[in-house]
Amino acid sequence: MLTRLKTQVPLFSMNSYTKLGEKLKLSGLSLASTHSHVIRLGRHNSKMAVCIAVIAKENYPLFIRSVPVQNELKFHYTVHTSLDVVEEKISAVGKAMADQRELYLGLLYPTEDYKVYGYVTNSKVKFVIVVDSSNTSLRDNEIRSMFRKLHNSFTDVMCNPFYNPGDTIQSKAFDSIVSAMMVQAS
Amino acid sequence: MAQCVQSVQELIQDSFVPKVAVLCSEDAQKITRKNNLNFSELLRPFCRLTSEGHMRDSNNQVQVVKNLRISVNNVVTRPSVPTSGVHSPAQRRLLSEVVSASQPAEGGVANVITAGDYDLNISATTPWFEAYRESFLQSMPASDHEFLNHYLACLLVVSSSEAVPVEQFLKLSQEQHMIQHNGEYTNPKWFIPNTLKYYVLLHDMSQGDEQRADSVYEDMKQRYGSQGCYLLKINSRTAAAGTDEQIPDPWSQYLNKSSLQSQVRNPAMPCDESSNRQSINKGLRFNHTTPALTLVLCGRSCKLLDYKGKHSCELPSDKPTRRAKSLQFYTGVAAGTSHGACLTLNDHNRLRLFIQEFTFRGLLPHIEKNIRQLNDQLVSRKGLSRSLFSVTKKLFGGGKVPEKSIAELKNTSGLLYHPEAPELQIRKMADLCFLVQHYELAYSCYHTAKKDFLSDQAMLYAAGALEMAAVSAFLQGGAQRPYPAHYMDTAIQTYRDVCKNKVLAERCALFSAEVLKSQAKYSDAATLLIKMTSEDSDLCSALLLEQAAHCFINMRNPMVRKFAFHMILAGHRFSKAGQKRHALRCYCQAMQVYKGKGWSLAEDHINFTIGRQSFTLRQPENAVLAFRHILTNDSQQTATQQGAFLREYLYVYRNVPGVCEVALPQLPLPCINSSATRVYFGHERRLAEGEKQAATHVSLDQEFDQDLAAVWQDLEEQVVAAANRGVVPSTFYPTQCCLNSQTDNLHFPLAVVEEPIIVEVAFRNPLKVPLVLSDLSLLWKFTLKDFSRPQPQDVMVGDAVTITNEKEAIAPRVRKGKGGIPSVCKFLTFSLLSWQARLKLLPRQTGQLTILGLVYNLASTPSTGDSTINSNSPSVRGRQDLEIQGPRLNQTKEEKTSVSHGPDRRLDPTITPPMPLLEVFFLQFPTALLCGEIRKAYVEFCNVSHVPLCGLRVASTHPDFFTFGSSSLATPLTPLSPTSFENCSAYKTLATPPGATPGSVTAVTLVSAADFGSGGGGVFGTGGKRVAEIPLGEGTLTPGESTQLPLWLRGPDQEGVHEINFLFYYEGAEKGGKISHRVLRHTVFICASRSLSVRATACRSNTLPEEEGRNGSMLVFVDVENINTSEAGVREFHIAQVSSSSKQWRLHKCINPAENKDCKLTTRERGKLCFRATRCKPHEATSKSLEKYTFADLSLGNEQIISSTTPCADFFFRRCQSSESWRPLIAVETQGRHSRSQGAGPGGGAEDITGVVRKCNEVDLDIIVLWKAFVVEDNKQVILEGQLHVALQTIGKEACSLRQKEEAQEMVLLKFKPELPPPMTRPSMEQLSHLIKTNLHYPESYSHSFVQKSLCMIPVILTLSNCSLAQVDAIIDLRHKTTSPESLEVHGSFTWLGKTQYKLQLRAQEVMRLPLRAGFLHAGVYNLGTPRVFAKLADQGAMCETSQQTATPALIIINST
Repeated sequence: MLTRLKTQVPLFSMNSYTKLGEKLKLSGLSLASTHSHVIRLGRHNSKMAVCIAVIAKENYPLFIRSVPVQNELKFHYTVHTSLDVVEEKISAVGKAMADQRELYLGLLYPTEDYKVYGYVTNSKVKFVIVVDSSNTSLRDNEIRSMFRKLHNSFTDVMCNPFYNPGDTIQSKAFDSIVSAMMVQAS
Repeated sequence: MAQCVQSVQELIQDSFVPKVAVLCSEDAQKITRKNNLNFSELLRPFCRLTSEGHMRDSNNQVQVVKNLRISVNNVVTRPSVPTSGVHSPAQRRLLSEVVSASQPAEGGVANVITAGDYDLNISATTPWFEAYRESFLQSMPASDHEFLNHYLACLLVVSSSEAVPVEQFLKLSQEQHMIQHNGEYTNPKWFIPNTLKYYVLLHDMSQGDEQRADSVYEDMKQRYGSQGCYLLKINSRTAAAGTDEQIPDPWSQYLNKSSLQSQVRNPAMPCDESSNRQSINKGLRFNHTTPALTLVLCGRSCKLLDYKGKHSCELPSDKPTRRAKSLQFYTGVAAGTSHGACLTLNDHNRLRLFIQEFTFRGLLPHIEKNIRQLNDQLVSRKGLSRSLFSVTKKLFGGGKVPEKSIAELKNTSGLLYHPEAPELQIRKMADLCFLVQHYELAYSCYHTAKKDFLSDQAMLYAAGALEMAAVSAFLQGGAQRPYPAHYMDTAIQTYRDVCKNKVLAERCALFSAEVLKSQAKYSDAATLLIKMTSEDSDLCSALLLEQAAHCFINMRNPMVRKFAFHMILAGHRFSKAGQKRHALRCYCQAMQVYKGKGWSLAEDHINFTIGRQSFTLRQPENAVLAFRHILTNDSQQTATQQGAFLREYLYVYRNVPGVCEVALPQLPLPCINSSATRVYFGHERRLAEGEKQAATHVSLDQEFDQDLAAVWQDLEEQVVAAANRGVVPSTFYPTQCCLNSQTDNLHFPLAVVEEPIIVEVAFRNPLKVPLVLSDLSLLWKFTLKDFSRPQPQDVMVGDAVTITNEKEAIAPRVRKGKGGIPSVCKFLTFSLLSWQARLKLLPRQTGQLTILGLVYNLASTPSTGDSTINSNSPSVRGRQDLEIQGPRLNQTKEEKTSVSHGPDRRLDPTITPPMPLLEVFFLQFPTALLCGEIRKAYVEFCNVSHVPLCGLRVASTHPDFFTFGSSSLATPLTPLSPTSFENCSAYKTLATPPGATPGSVTAVTLVSAADFGSGGGGVFGTGGKRVAEIPLGEGTLTPGESTQLPLWLRGPDQEGVHEINFLFYYEGAEKGGKISHRVLRHTVFICASRSLSVRATACRSNTLPEEEGRNGSMLVFVDVENINTSEAGVREFHIAQVSSSSKQWRLHKCINPAENKDCKLTTRERGKLCFRATRCKPHEATSKSLEKYTFADLSLGNEQIISSTTPCADFFFRRCQSSESWRPLIAVETQGRHSRSQGAGPGGGAEDITGVVRKCNEVDLDIIVLWKAFVVEDNKQVILEGQLHVALQTIGKEACSLRQKEEAQEMVLLKFKPELPPPMTRPSMEQLSHLIKTNLHYPESYSHSFVQKSLCMIPVILTLSNCSLAQVDAIIDLRHKTTSPESLEVHGSFTWLGKTQYKLQLRAQEVMRLPLRAGFLHAGVYNLGTPRVFAKLADQGAMCETSQQTATPALIIINST
């Protein structure tokens, strides 16, 4: 049993990497073709997201990362507070419509300095991305694609047979995806 | 927003009330002062009108005025101070004090809000906010753009005692006029130019002349009209009057609560106090000459406030002691100077009546008149179109606006319109309508005014109108007009952004939020409140944020997290504003949301803040609790952060006064894994002492092994059974020296006095920073009990004396208490993940001990990171309790369904009276042996206690490994001292007589097994087979005595490493103690290497029994192979001697003794020895000596080893036991069957046949091969000795010294039914053919002269011997069987003569001779072995005879002469 698992794991993860790579490439292409000016602007902005968080169904953090590390606490508070809005938005959608609900929740709320976006998977895992308010280059589409990437990577984490659902995420692959979203190469 | 006491309507109504000024003459002041009140204060409780008022509006419609309140205030004149949009510092301080004075009631109403999975405990009301709001609204400065808080009327109060009251009235009137119209003072502001003056004549009933007062009043009526004056009679109670009369004090609630602000705003100083006040406040100008109180307060109010506050409400929250004192002081003052002391209830009624009269007769008509006037003015102006008016205004540039440009307008809140401007007239009218609750009209007026102001770009005015329009629209109620929320928003925005008037904006926002709240628009309210927060005022922001948080929680779907977040923000602002209590409360409420939800960073932050705030508020318990949370939770903080937390925690701890004196606090760090606590009873073992090797016993360093524990327990049970005549007592409980989580801890463990108890505590450091622990000691509780002497004489000691070291442990130095149990102190630092500390207790008296916990000093390492312990680093002393939860119970159904835990008494040892304590040392104890090697070692028993020791026994898992020798024959012959032993044989030897041939029997000894402790009455028989009594000299070891005993060891037969366990058992000399016995464990590991392999077979010899004079004989072949593979070590083996031991047989003679005497075997060589064995002599085998063993020694060397003595025989017998234990069932069964068959005689069943047949083949001979090995060790040749045993069971079957490896057991199928006993097999032909042994006796060669006589007759004797123990029928057939022509040819030439077939019956073991005669016709060689013998057991009729083994060819040579 164990040996079978062992042989399977590397195969599996390799698959996921290639899949991921394709997706990255695809999203990159679409970005380049439709919003070339956005990308140009984005390069000047060294950061895309300032904080990315994954929150479990039971509303405890599975993963949370923010760029100005000294402000980590503030982002924790912000993300935690945003959960109220997430819940409100989910409950706003009727029970019957729940399965057709769009995963992307849009802007949760703006604060003076940040904009907070939300995304909820079907298993009620929440993704929250906090963006600097001054960062005007990020449109809804970019946020959406960021969430999609995040969701894909999260799915890969969940598929890892050695990952215990409910544990904090410590996957390097996931980490690198998040880092890529937070700090843009410039 | 939290719930408020007032409704919105009440709030707004009370915020805007008609204001009435008071001017008092000095004498009038004096009258009111008697009651400790000034005039306005005197009236204040009666200012709310209980009855309805009526007034007519411009359309002559009656308007009802309900629940009207008027505000009566002393006139405070202030020079022209520009009104600013922010609060003055004094006001700020005032507000801050109001807030800090209002704290949530202890244990007050808190409602539980359940939202999702959160249960929050939140106080529903926020009285501090209401207090703030009330105070805030009352402190609103009168401004020019609105008239709501301008004075509408003025009360002129003159005492009737005045010489000429009318003059005084005139004076006051002038004073008022001067204040209003002089222009010197902008404050107070007056509503209408001709203010209503109401003349009040104050009459003191206690001293004045009432008639005079009446006459003056009459005079006044004449002068001012009956509606414009009033005669107020008070102070009807004289001081002499009964003080027992209970008069309610309505002032206290007004003055206590809001004395401060009223004092500040109306600082009407009592005259008698004024002198010293003046001396204090030089800036205070108090005009005695003018009856009116003209008090100048320019920024001094704060000073006054400070003074006043000392015994009123200024409560420095961070100084609880002072606060308490001041409170006490204050109440004392209050009790001393109760208000209204000279007033009777009648006076109260008079006051109430006065206000009513004043309002309904004076004020309302005045307002009514003014409204009408204003309305008329406006209507008259309506002729001109408003729009046209404004157009002309713009066209001609004249009018009211030319002075100021638009830009200026926007930036200022100052005067813009002339007071008599028509726009302001509308506003005035609106305000008047609003004050008298005519909201409909008020709204339309405001609305109009708003339009005007907006068109004029007078933003401040417009905002005011908007605000009031919205408010009056709201107050109108009903569904006539929807509440214009956007008016409010615009107003707030205008106030804040355009006019930069924060105060007005705030007021507007407060109303707006309250209105929104009343409409359940919590979300909007929250947004509004959050928007109003600013950097300017922390207090205000904090309050607003808190209200916003309450809005979130009150929403239909409560937003718990937003609530929490805003609470934290509010808490932050509160702490910035210096409102520590409120800050703490906010954080605590927010904590409920964050607690235990995995948001550890936030949780840590909140806890840290709570800790700090609590500490500054002198709530050390809470601080410590909060810090404890940060440190105990699995923190995800960085190491530096953790270090900071830790230092802060330690700092807080150390600076908490009074904590360490009472009881030691519980420390959160490091974590103690209570269940991993191990307790060890006894001294720490000395493992080796010189060449002595101590018994290993149990130590804390050993891991607990369940299987091993079971082995030990089994051993102990056996030895206890042996000591108690084979019965394990019901009270038996296995000794446990080391208790841990896996041992059975249900009983109170027993510890012995004067023997240490070692407690091992497992620590874990959850932090990333090292912790320094020092002065670690145990906390215990001890109850003295004397177990040995329960007599009452000994009560001196006291049975229930409980001592504890809790008090002593507080001091860092551990002193020896009365119980005399010192604890071990250690000083250590560790940053490891886990670590164990061992602490020792030495009980000095008997009793019941309970180990409570640990005391230690906790410190952190300096932040620099070097791990050197700085003795100055802050450390705190604290304790941690050891509470061990027992194992979960799972026996009964109840226990299975619920979670309950059993007790764990590991830490509650009972200290019992002294017991003997044995120490065992081993000398010359080997670690490696050859298989079968005999080695002599010494064991030393030492009683190290003060009590004699007896009943020493030992049990072992390998009883055949060692022997102490047999008690009777043992020691004297062997040297006792180990030194002389060196080159001596372990065996007892005799030199062989020189002439003797090697291999011949030299000695035969008869030995009873009982002598070696193997028989029925021996030591072994009593308990288990594995228990041996240790032969001590007198049976006891006196205190301090030690004995050395020799000990023989024999290497195990199996090669490999053997773990051998010894359990030494001993008792105290005195019986009946708590501990019946004690045990000492010892474990050795012996490495056994291969030596010789011995195989032996036995053959029946065909010699006749008579020949030897005995009943049968046997040949024994012994194969010896050297299987030792290590060529370096063992050079060669010599077979020194072969001995036999049996009850029936003995070795008789060696048949092939080697030429060079010794039989030498080097590696991989083998040799064969052949012996003849004979039965023991018949007399030896009598029933009497049935149990005796015959030992026969056949020495192959030059000395004989006496095998019948220690140790050879010991090991022989031990081996028997062990082999019996290997096959116990069969042996017992066959023996039993035997005796039965013998007793029953013939007529048994088929079973008997088997037994009989087996018995016939049974040998039961044990061969002991004694060898010597020449071993080179360290270039020295050493001779090792040893013995190997072979047990011959049956004839013809090979036996081996090495036990055959058992079949691998893994593949055995599981069986769920007991297997049927194997069917009784009939004895095989082969077996049955051994029943009878035949032998032919004849001359070897015979000469016969065939010439003389043709037939040669030779007598032949056929000997038949019955080998079995049963009767046997035999048939002897002498006829030749013509099997082949050839055989006929060869053998057929002789014939048996006479009877050719016999039928005989042989009794058991009978030997019968049958004379036969053979006849020969020719000379030649003949085979006589032709008789065929058939035999069957006599009682087995059904069985056919079996042909017996054909005799070997018996050749006879017939010579012809």
